[in-house]
Amino acid sequence: MKTLLSIAAGLALMAGTAHAEDVWTGGDSQPTSPLACDGAAPAVTAVPYNGAAVKGAADLKGKPISIVDVPKLIGIGYFNATAKGVAEGAKDLGSVTAKTDGPTKANIDDQITLIDNYITSGVNGIVFAANDPEAIAPVLKKALSKGIHVVGYDSDATPDAREWFVNQASFNGVAKALMDNLASQIGEDGSFAIVTSTFTTPVQARWIAEMTAYTAKCHPKMQWLETVEAQEDNILSFNQANTLMNKYGDKLKGIIGMTSVATPAAAEAVKQTNQCGKIAVTGLALPNSMKPYVNSGCVNGVVLWSPADLGYAAVQVMRAAIDGTLKPGDTSVKAGKLGELKIVNGSVVLLGDPVTFTKANINNFDF
Amino acid sequence: MSHSPTLAPQPSPAAAFLRFVRAYGQETAVLVALLVIVVAVSLINPNYLGPTNINNIVAGNAYVAVAAIGMTMIILLGHIDVAVGALIGVLASIAGTLAVNGYPIWIAWLVPILVGVCVEAIIGVLVAYARIPAIVVTLGIVSILKGGLITVTQGVWISNLPPDFLIAQFRLFGIPSPVYFMVGLTIAAGLWMRYAPFGRAIYAVGGNVEAARTVGIRPERLTVGVFALHGMFAGIAAVLFGTQLQVIQSTVPNNLELTIITASVIGGVSIVGGRGTVFGSTLAAIFFSAVSSALVFLNISAYWLRAVLGLLILATVLADAMRRRQFH
Repeated sequence: MKTLLSIAAGLALMAGTAHAEDVWTGGDSQPTSPLACDGAAPAVTAVPYNGAAVKGAADLKGKPISIVDVPKLIGIGYFNATAKGVAEGAKDLGSVTAKTDGPTKANIDDQITLIDNYITSGVNGIVFAANDPEAIAPVLKKALSKGIHVVGYDSDATPDAREWFVNQASFNGVAKALMDNLASQIGEDGSFAIVTSTFTTPVQARWIAEMTAYTAKCHPKMQWLETVEAQEDNILSFNQANTLMNKYGDKLKGIIGMTSVATPAAAEAVKQTNQCGKIAVTGLALPNSMKPYVNSGCVNGVVLWSPADLGYAAVQVMRAAIDGTLKPGDTSVKAGKLGELKIVNGSVVLLGDPVTFTKANINNFDF
Repeated sequence: MSHSPTLAPQPSPAAAFLRFVRAYGQETAVLVALLVIVVAVSLINPNYLGPTNINNIVAGNAYVAVAAIGMTMIILLGHIDVAVGALIGVLASIAGTLAVNGYPIWIAWLVPILVGVCVEAIIGVLVAYARIPAIVVTLGIVSILKGGLITVTQGVWISNLPPDFLIAQFRLFGIPSPVYFMVGLTIAAGLWMRYAPFGRAIYAVGGNVEAARTVGIRPERLTVGVFALHGMFAGIAAVLFGTQLQVIQSTVPNNLELTIITASVIGGVSIVGGRGTVFGSTLAAIFFSAVSSALVFLNISAYWLRAVLGLLILATVLADAMRRRQFH
């Protein structure tokens, strides 16, 4: 009886909150800056250099250097691909010895210890993807104070703890790519739902906020049904996508997956219920996991940047910073096979527009 | 066959009902809670009762229910296994690797089950003969399995699984195969634990080891046997888990062991051993996916699932403690 009572209490609690939330998109509350609907480049306002300065670095212009790449964690497909890019960038330059070493899980304490060890053992440069922007700052500042150059990629530290940061794709660029892709499939009056990781994951919340703003500006008639959480669990993502289809029936025309786990799981749910072509799936995803769905035509296209290019660019930026060819105030930097990359917000190097993987190009990528 | 409890001379229906509730109180509570959720949510949105959603609810957590059968036996003995989530991740990766490397499908299904039996039997030996508490042994095993998996697979997902391998996607009469596994194994294990001597011995040892010893049961052997059996259920759960989608993530599923242990406990297994049935744990696993689905239908954050489950665990353990006080 006691159990029954507590279950009833739990249910009452749940029902109470049910009416509190209307359409909860899952975005954060920071200001948004949606891109122009036609893709016109946004006006760039010059921001003075806001990165850090390295102290007492030896002049290594053109000389061989050794750098270490410290990703958030090692052993996952995404950072395997960035490491590959780092190695390729070093090879193209010829004068760089690069090594990738990171924690086995995305743990900031392990990452700090690791960076500290590399400072002690002596390297010329550190490229990193931070597990926490604030917590990593002191150890990076320590590196800068010992004449070691510091460049971030993928996940930034606070700007005063590194010289440059290579941004994979702007939040508003990803938002535009996803929403335009979906709108082209389900039409301007289609209804869609989103499967994300959790409402508190900063990156996903930022993308969703930008998607909300861009949808209101450029696809005002599209209906955002709801956002559900599925952590980064593929069975839960699959179940959540199924539940969305069951809940909305014919009303649901599209699903967007916000994680590399959710997107293939949503595609699988659509495939298993024989609704390919009826319900469009798009989202952020690694191409390898989407090849079966894209090649069979069940999914039209998914969006991401190339993590290999990201690692490649980080090494190129590092070399340019050490050589002095990239200086505060510059508006672009040469990055080997990637050409000229734009610099925005004082010290952020932009990798470029996100890549949409479709039947036409997905088989050219292997990560 | 069995020694049923002495019947009252003329049991009135009310007395019979009371006796049933006393014996299967927790199972009844979970069943009632499940029905309450289903009725309440379908009143708000009738699509909740649609055939595909019912299928998703019942099949969605079938692998949890299968693993919870073994976990129920372990907890009945007064032990615990916090490594089972990691083990299921590893076994699913083994199954997937065999399948994509061209081994016959039945090998890809069978090997993970055998590996599961071996790993759990080793745990059982350490617990029963080396007398190391199960929580310590299995915590050690978690690290080995997690580290080993990431080292071997490098986190690369296993894809291109052959369609014949995907047993969890098979259907018979429109019902997904995991449902048959869940129902069949639950009934078989439930009857076996009720009527077979070995099965009944689990309750005897869990209730009072020394008393069990005096009637000729060897608790050490039994413990190893039950761990091995639990490994078999973990293996079957891993095959169902790994074949549900087109890819195997080849990481350890987050908190899966907690979900499995929670199913057992909410299903009515006393955490100090000796009481509870697998019917309860299976009902609890279905109940979880019903709640999980209801949260989407009611637009409620999935975080509530954890909170609600936490509440239920507390209530269940409290109820168990009160029952014990009453009987002692």
